[in-house]
Formats: sequence, structure tokens, C-alpha cells
Amino acid sequence: MSLIAHGLVARSDLPIPEWLFGWAAAMVLVVSFVALAVLWPQPRLEREHWRPLPGGVGRVLGSRPVEILCGAVGVVLLGVVVYAGLRGTQSPTANFAPTFIYVIFWLGLVPASVLLGDVYKAFNPWRAIGRAVGWTAGRVARADLPAPLTYPDRLGHWPAAAGVFAFAVMELVVSNGDRPENLAIATLIYSALTFVAMALYGVETWIDRGDPYSVYFNLFSRLSPIETRDQVVGLRRPLSGLAALKPGPGTVPLLAVMIGSVTFDGASEAPIWTGIAPDIASFFQDVGVSPQRALELTFFVGLTGTIVLIYCFYRLGVVGAKSVGGGFTTGRLARAFVHSLVPIALAYVAAHYFTLLLFQGQGLSFLASDPLGDGSDLFGTADSQIDYTLIGANATWYWQVAFVVAGHVVALTLAHDRALALYDQAKLAVRSQYWMLAVMVGFTSLALWLLSQANA
Amino acid sequence: MPIAHAGHWLTNIAYFLPVVAFLVWLVITQIRERRRSRG
Repeated sequence: MSLIAHGLVARSDLPIPEWLFGWAAAMVLVVSFVALAVLWPQPRLEREHWRPLPGGVGRVLGSRPVEILCGAVGVVLLGVVVYAGLRGTQSPTANFAPTFIYVIFWLGLVPASVLLGDVYKAFNPWRAIGRAVGWTAGRVARADLPAPLTYPDRLGHWPAAAGVFAFAVMELVVSNGDRPENLAIATLIYSALTFVAMALYGVETWIDRGDPYSVYFNLFSRLSPIETRDQVVGLRRPLSGLAALKPGPGTVPLLAVMIGSVTFDGASEAPIWTGIAPDIASFFQDVGVSPQRALELTFFVGLTGTIVLIYCFYRLGVVGAKSVGGGFTTGRLARAFVHSLVPIALAYVAAHYFTLLLFQGQGLSFLASDPLGDGSDLFGTADSQIDYTLIGANATWYWQVAFVVAGHVVALTLAHDRALALYDQAKLAVRSQYWMLAVMVGFTSLALWLLSQANA
Repeated sequence: MPIAHAGHWLTNIAYFLPVVAFLVWLVITQIRERRRSRG
């Protein structure tokens, strides 16, 4: 899957060198920065403006029966994934579980969330099961259930950061991370932990604040103009969902994990990594670790190191922003601007993985008919093939550049708007954004360099 | 060996020149402003 993620055919005949695309992208950001400074003098995104979809459509879409139906679909899919993983063929590309988890779920839900809002919340099987169990327990007990514990504020988004990190370890570090049986077992472990957390803190509180997948997809859904409130689907001002994000402990680390994991996936193919990885692995083998574990530890070091680097780079920008004045602590500023990292995370995911979604996503058609890889043909599509001619290498590069630039321009807009709301003086706000601009240009350059390494 | 692979390294560095140049400009600007405010 990694091969498909990074393209099958080398780029050729680009009109300019790939690195010059990076310079052009940086220029676009600088021009955007100037345009924002001149044309966006007042904060606009901090004010909430939500209205329901007209004609009762919002009420129908957000209604309890629709919610129950979506939850049921999620539970069925969860059951299929676990069953296929435990009982099906252990060939990753012939089993439903790996493609569904790594492609349809982890990648496919990102654009779905950006376009349609927090759809994962409706289809979340663990939420559906948790709510069903709670409802049943209430009926059986015929009395109010004990109140859940108060979610500790100091926990913040740390559980989500840890969970997304664990997923990245499974995906990028563990040797057999795409083995269907391993994925099924990991899913069952995650399910157990989730149900315990839901029992402790309440289903909705855990979903909103601690559950890794829920928090992850909710962040992307904040880019969408669609938002559900009190079971009514409505529209809000674009990007205002991110401006309304309430960051807490662990929010910055969470975004660092999100961006860092994609960064490492790309960097792991670069000569800078393939040159030093064997040396790191040798070190672990010299201290008595087996070759397989040594390789896993090496990739773990690489993944963690990359995440730390991303975190430090963002903090560098925050320290710079603090240096212009305003009386804010670095912690305050780091949380104030963390929402602007979400479109960067989106740009990284989109640019790096959209071909994987485009190509391997087609595999769902034959995997749905033959989920266990045992020759079944449930829907008559078991013989369908993946069409690898959907997009060429050059077009892929152009789309990747477009995703990276668009994501960073949106990030710049969010940061600019927040600065205007934060600082008393517009001049201070703009000066603080010089450092955020440096961070954005840095992430843009990094993204394009990583993408170029895939076809180096 | 380093010279033989210089083209490859230079290409890699080229990606990050904009951010390096921008950071250098930022630092110089801040130093100048601090000197101006002291003076």
C-alpha cells in the first residue's frame, strides 16, 4: 500500500524543477499574507453564525432514527472488520480489514468530514454501542444510573494524542501492522479501552474530549460549513468551526502527532532516513535486540523524533510571536494558534495519501464481495480490478502542490484572524504573524520536499 | 564523494531556502527594531 500511496510512475516533463514549485508556493503564502494584512482588518471567524438547513431537512438528517441507523451501519462494519481480520485470509490486500481500516476509515473519513461535517460521530460504532448499553441499563434498572466521573480538565486531548500516536505506531512501526489478525486484535483492545472510558466519564464526554478517532475526525470536520447542533443539521460560516475550538492540555501534541506521523511516513523513504536507519538498527542489535525488533525500534525512534521536531518547530514560531510583545505566555499563544495547524494536517494527509485513497479505495468493490478472501462473491463485484490509470504522475504532483498551498493559505487565514482577535493593536497582530508565516512556509517546504522524496 | 552527490544535496537544500531566508530576514528585522527602541 505504501508504494501506491507514493505513486507508481516517476514524474517526468514537469515545466520547472520540483524545488521551484516550493519557491512558488512560498511566494503564494507571502502574497496571501500581505493580502490578509490589507484586506482582512477585523476578526471575522470568532463570531458564531449557525442556521439550520431549510425546509426541515436539517431536522430530518439530525433526527434520532437517522442517528440510530448510521450507528447500526457503523456497528455492522465494525463486526465485519473484526470477523474478517480473525477468520479471513492473512494476506493484507485480499482481506477486507486492512483496506477498510487504513484506507476507507482512516483516509476516507477525512475528506468526508471536511465536506459533510462530523459524519464519524453519527457512524461511530463504539458510541452507538455505548449509548445502546446505557439506554438498556437505564430501562433494566428502572432508575437513574450513577453519574459518570467528571472528565479531568488536565487530561484534555492527551488520550486522543496517545491514541493517534498508537495508530501511527501500528501503521508505520509494527512489522505486521497490516496483518488482518493483528488489526482485529488491536480493534478489540481499543474497543475494551473505549468502553471502560465511556463507563467512567460518560459516552458523549469521552467522544467529545478523549476518544482518539472522534477527536481526530472532529478536528477536520471543523473546516466544514456543516454542523449539527441539538440534532439539527445546519450551516455555519466556513472555518468558524475551527475558531470555536477550545484547545486544552494535549491539543498541541495531538496536532504534532497528526502532522508528524505523515511527515515520518514520507521521510522514511528519503535518503536522509534510509542512510541512518541501518546504523540505528545496528545499535539496537548490538545491545541484544532481535533484527525485527531492532527495525521496529528504529522506526519508533524515527516516528517519535519527527513528531518532536514538528512540535519544536511550531513552538519556535510561537516563541517568535511572543517576542513581538503583547504580554502573552508561550503556552497561551501555542493554544491560541493551534487551530491553524488543522488545515496543515489536512494538507499533509491529502497530498500524501490521496492517490492511496483513489487507487486502493477502489479495492473496496471486490473486498466487499469477498471480505474474507475465500473466493466469495456476495455482491457480484469480486472480479473488479483497480484502475491505476485514473491519474498520472504529473497530475498527481500538481494536485499535491495544490493541496499543500491551499491548506497553508487557510492556515494563514485562521492564524491572522486569531491574531486580530487576540492583540489590541493591529500592528502587533501582523508582526506576530511574521513568525506564523515562517512556520507556514516551513511546513510548506517540508511537505513538498517529502512528496518529492517519494519519487526520488 | 560529497562533491559527486552535491547536486542531490543542493536540490534538497533548495526546498528549504525560502524558509531559511525568511527566518534570517525576521531575525535581522527584530535585532534592528530592538536597537532602534534602545537608541
